[in-house]
Amino acid sequence: MTAAPTPLLAIRSLRAAYGKIEALKGVDVEINAGEIVALIGANGAGKSTLMMTIFGKPRARAGQILYEGRDITDVPTHEIAHLRIAQSPEGRRIFPRMSVAENLQMGADATECTDAEREATLQRVFTLFPRLKERYAQRGGTLSGGEQQMLAIGRALMSRPRLLLLDEPSLGLAPLIARQIFDAIRTLNRQDGLTVLIVEQNANHALKLAHRGYVMVNGLITLAGTGAELLQRPEIRAAYLEGGRHG
Amino acid sequence: MTAPSTNTAKPATGIPALFKTAFINALVALVLFSLMVGIRTEAGSDGQLTYWTRFGELASLVGIVFGGSIVMELLRQWIGPTGTEKLVPPAIRSGMSFVGRYLAPALLIFTLLVPVIFYNQRYILDLAILVLTYVMLGWGLNVVVGLAGLLDLGYVAFYAVGAYSYALLATNFGWSFWVCLPLAGILAAFWGVLLGFPVLRLRGDYLAIVTLAFGEIIRLVIINWQSLTGGPNGVSGIPRPTFFGIPLDNSDDGLAAKLGIEYSSTHRIIFLFYLILALALLTNWVTIRLRRLPIGRAWEALREDEVACRALGINTTTTKLTAFATGAMFGGFAGAFFATRQGFISPESFTFQESALVLAIVVLGGMGSQLGVALAALAMIGGFELFRGLEGYRMLVFGMAMVLIMIWRPRGLIGHRAPTVYLTKAQAISSDLVKEGHG
Repeated sequence: MTAAPTPLLAIRSLRAAYGKIEALKGVDVEINAGEIVALIGANGAGKSTLMMTIFGKPRARAGQILYEGRDITDVPTHEIAHLRIAQSPEGRRIFPRMSVAENLQMGADATECTDAEREATLQRVFTLFPRLKERYAQRGGTLSGGEQQMLAIGRALMSRPRLLLLDEPSLGLAPLIARQIFDAIRTLNRQDGLTVLIVEQNANHALKLAHRGYVMVNGLITLAGTGAELLQRPEIRAAYLEGGRHG
Repeated sequence: MTAPSTNTAKPATGIPALFKTAFINALVALVLFSLMVGIRTEAGSDGQLTYWTRFGELASLVGIVFGGSIVMELLRQWIGPTGTEKLVPPAIRSGMSFVGRYLAPALLIFTLLVPVIFYNQRYILDLAILVLTYVMLGWGLNVVVGLAGLLDLGYVAFYAVGAYSYALLATNFGWSFWVCLPLAGILAAFWGVLLGFPVLRLRGDYLAIVTLAFGEIIRLVIINWQSLTGGPNGVSGIPRPTFFGIPLDNSDDGLAAKLGIEYSSTHRIIFLFYLILALALLTNWVTIRLRRLPIGRAWEALREDEVACRALGINTTTTKLTAFATGAMFGGFAGAFFATRQGFISPESFTFQESALVLAIVVLGGMGSQLGVALAALAMIGGFELFRGLEGYRMLVFGMAMVLIMIWRPRGLIGHRAPTVYLTKAQAISSDLVKEGHG
């Protein structure tokens, strides 16, 4: 992994709030090109809010979001996807009454790409998740939870992103399926050079997968380090790996 | 009528349970109808209250409820709601799919031939024009409600805007129908966008309330802006449409005289019939085309999940506004047609009841299904006429029909939604890709 001179995504003292409740209280995160970065933390720590704020919903109250050195803090939500940042939102949010094919097509619709590029991306998604090819004509809502997660990631990939934001991809999945998802993410990172920011409650999995990790507590980053480092920290082990009662 | 029996998760079967349900229903009916039907009150000649009893009617109503609930319960057990396994023989099922495939083309051919078959039956032609108007309105509203999932209770506003646009432009400036038709559509679309802006952030119930109010606002403005719209008196003397400049009347430069055939007032009716048919088919064609384009897909995705849409880079603002504008435009076209057909329009034609009727057509037809909407319009409008003899009871019949359809086909007559994206070529899935436990 060659670290770029400027990080692909740099978040500087970012603040965001829902009404009067401040969810992000000055967050600094850097993601270099080609990295997998994990963001872990307990429920309500602000992980998903950070993910959503990158996409402009909610808007940042203060601070900056820099993508390839460009300030995107105030870019409208729908234009962020055009910058080749893709998101697989929390709870998968696939389109249940539309077919798998249409779901995937939706991912490509908003971005300018040629038919050949789209076809190539589609084949790439099928190689990663052959199950989606089997289910191509089926309605999204009839898929199993794991398949829906694959579809959500596949749909995000269809926009040919450089940076992929994944919110809780293992949520509610059987361990075996969750591992398949994590394997696919690793493959995408190694073979396609995709940069990934992954938000997870499953700290063990996420930190093993990630090059670097951040720990978030009450809207603040409390710890940062490589995945292996964080896994060794006693406070991490106590809070997120061994029971999680202190989180 | 079978309310008590629907609550049980798994309806008990067997004769005693059947009679028990029917008895409970009859009892409920007895309590309800004893005051509503059993006792009739009226103001007497001197203004005093007189009343008399109608136990015969009461008894027959309770009897109908008793028998009806037995029949309903039996039907329910035989047919069952959608989703339960049905005991339909494969032969019948394949026959049904055959009918399903050829129903739409057959209907279209029949519709094209209606003026030929019923040439001398003015009543049927008028009814057919009315049905087609509602088919068009249904298809137009289908874009907003069925595809984009935005519940619009004020669709009649756009119908009114279209009608008044044509009526006022034609009577004040003498512009021809063919110039005014696109203008009416554009104006209605403009009002659609205007409605769209304030409701961008609203969903579901709240959206429905605002659109309902919008429909009323347009109607009240029309009533009160006397100097422009003529208020409750309406606009009369709206010019009839011409065959691209050639009038369809008994004059020397009329179409009949030019073609050298004998004039008949039916010509104009037939012309109107094909005009609305063409407009309706245009609506249908545009909708089908749009569904295959990114914008149509975005509408449907918006109906499914707005947050996901935004994350995928879809501009939800423009997507919603185009849905409102497209739906409104077709409403405007239909309105212009309505004005030229009637020759007279007044605010009375654009009440909430019209909105409700069109919405009922869309919901009963199956939201998003073009064929379903057409069939529902035919059933609703045709049905209204069919049961005209029943007068006061026909609304009762329709209420019941709606309840029954919603019980048995909760997604509408045609709830199936055909996907619009396919694999470009038939691709066999090689077995090495498909392995158990490998996503």
